[in-house]
Amino acid sequence: MFALAIKEIRFFKLKYSLIGFILFLLASLVFIVSGLAGGLSLNNVAMLENSHANHFFLSEDAENRLDQSGYIVDDLLEALPREGGWEPFLIQNYRLDADSSETKLAVTMMPVDPNSFLYPGVIEGTDLSDSEAIEIVVDQSMKVDGVTIGDTLYEEDNDLSFEVIGFTEGQTYRHAPVAYLAETAFYSLELTPHTVANAIVIETEETVLQAAITGAFDEGVWVGKADVIDGVPGHSSEQMSLNMMIFFLIVIAVFVLAAFFYILTIQKLNQFGVLKALGASNQFLIGATLLQVLTLTTVSLILAIGFTYFITTILPEGMPFDFNSGLLVQYSVTMLAVSLIGALLSAIKIVKIDPQQAIGRVE
Amino acid sequence: MTAPLILDKIVKGYQDGKEYQEILSKVSLSVEKGQTTAVIGPSGSGKSTFLSVAGALLSPDSGAVIINGQSIAGFSAKQLANIRLNQIGYIFQAANLVPYLTVKEQLKLVIEMNRNWSKDAQLRVKEALGDVGLGERLNAYPHQLSGGEKQRVAIARAFMNDPDIILADEPTANLDQARSHEIVRLIAKEAKEKNKAAILVTHDEKLLEYCSVVYTIEAGELVKRT
Ligand SMILES: Nc1ncnc2c1ncn2[C@@H]1O[C@H](COP(=O)(O)OP(=O)(O)OP(=O)(O)O)[C@@H](O)[C@H]1O
Ligand SMILES: [Mg+2]
Repeated sequence: MFALAIKEIRFFKLKYSLIGFILFLLASLVFIVSGLAGGLSLNNVAMLENSHANHFFLSEDAENRLDQSGYIVDDLLEALPREGGWEPFLIQNYRLDADSSETKLAVTMMPVDPNSFLYPGVIEGTDLSDSEAIEIVVDQSMKVDGVTIGDTLYEEDNDLSFEVIGFTEGQTYRHAPVAYLAETAFYSLELTPHTVANAIVIETEETVLQAAITGAFDEGVWVGKADVIDGVPGHSSEQMSLNMMIFFLIVIAVFVLAAFFYILTIQKLNQFGVLKALGASNQFLIGATLLQVLTLTTVSLILAIGFTYFITTILPEGMPFDFNSGLLVQYSVTMLAVSLIGALLSAIKIVKIDPQQAIGRVE
Repeated sequence: MTAPLILDKIVKGYQDGKEYQEILSKVSLSVEKGQTTAVIGPSGSGKSTFLSVAGALLSPDSGAVIINGQSIAGFSAKQLANIRLNQIGYIFQAANLVPYLTVKEQLKLVIEMNRNWSKDAQLRVKEALGDVGLGERLNAYPHQLSGGEKQRVAIARAFMNDPDIILADEPTANLDQARSHEIVRLIAKEAKEKNKAAILVTHDEKLLEYCSVVYTIEAGELVKRT
């Protein structure tokens, strides 16, 4: 059965390479689009994905949006020490000047306690410390803008200079790199008279602690990390449109492949009729057809995977692309299933062939 | 010893629009091993229909087809396929070879469909192709063969699963005179040597010299020629 399938592919090389090529293109497109979807998604919410903050106390009317929520936490600080396990979560959008860049660089400034679970640590350079020095650790994606350790980034409105002392990774928020600044340094700038936060965050669920925090404020709700990620502006709509593209690609693949395999089978009906007259069972003929499709699809998928990896190596730096093996397996299995479904459609045709047509007629 | 193929009072017709047209009426026939039986008749007389019924490709409206002592009435499609695979060998008007298989692989295929491939089968393939004079063309593809050579491959293929019955429907229609004689002689010789019951349908009177018994189809009935 398998030998039959392979021999036919080998004999009609051109025909089968063309179909294989279409399969390869469709699969590559699915892989690349989903890689981009993953990349964009990460770019938008990586800081939250990678954060150790798992439960967020947000204003009720903020609709899970961090930027719509705000608290003054002076009272809470007095009533409930931070050692209890909570942290104020504060993000601010800054536009910074750098010598290396003509345009201003957008960053998400995040004042943190360097010893808390909110601070991710560096992959290069020096970690933040509890000093009043205006030093920042930024996401490595800023390297693309020419930022290096030791650079000074300037903020015009408040006339502030930040010195880059280290790089961290996987810390982007709303497509901008996150810059971590020691809390002590931030408050020494006296930009605000109070201790402020967008949200109060904790690492693990703790009923007593959460109740105490709720009690300290007039209003607010506890929200899980997943909901906060969904609340990031643009995240769901961005993901939805990309997932829609992938969905339609797969639908297109179903039709294109079903049509191809159907035509292939139609071309061979006569031959199948003869084989049936010679005693081939439906099972044998369908088996050979499915094996052929399986072989073709597997080879095309392997090539598409290779091609996708090749693409990732030549993509311009800073282009968001994330393609993990989980997705790879998921979409490969989908593509495989799609072509088998396409081939099964023509199996109906095979069952219906009347072997009698082989007798008494010219080819 | 019973005959491998017995047809008993076969009736077969086609529904042509509203009209029913009877093609075979009460056809009875029994073919013996080692013999080649010829069936001749004008075009449209029902020769192919007759052979389809005899070959378990078409079920009769009434009457029985008895293959090796077993009536195949009521057999499932799968059982019929199995009968065709093991007990009947076909030779068609056109050789109907699989275009992407070599001569050797054509024969291997029918053995594989039977899940019987073995070293011994390898030898049988070589021998069968030797018997039809193609021992040198084992690795040729159909498009590299002449019409007569293709038909020889088809003959070797028909004998491959060692069936008791060989059915040939105008196997020489596409061939010239000399080639036709060669092919029919080959079928008759193989049938005799391998002790098969063969039926040869033709409308060429000149080919009857190789056949032991000759029938004509006349008005839906088989008439033995003496
Ligand atoms: N599937 C069918 N439906 C309706 N009529 C059919 C069908 N198959 C054959 N016939 C009719 O049955 C008659 C006998 O056909 P058959 O093919 O058996 O003739 P034949 O003797 O083999 O002719 P030829 O020498 O041309 O091959 C013809 O009149 C044909 O039109
Ligand atoms: Mg005919």
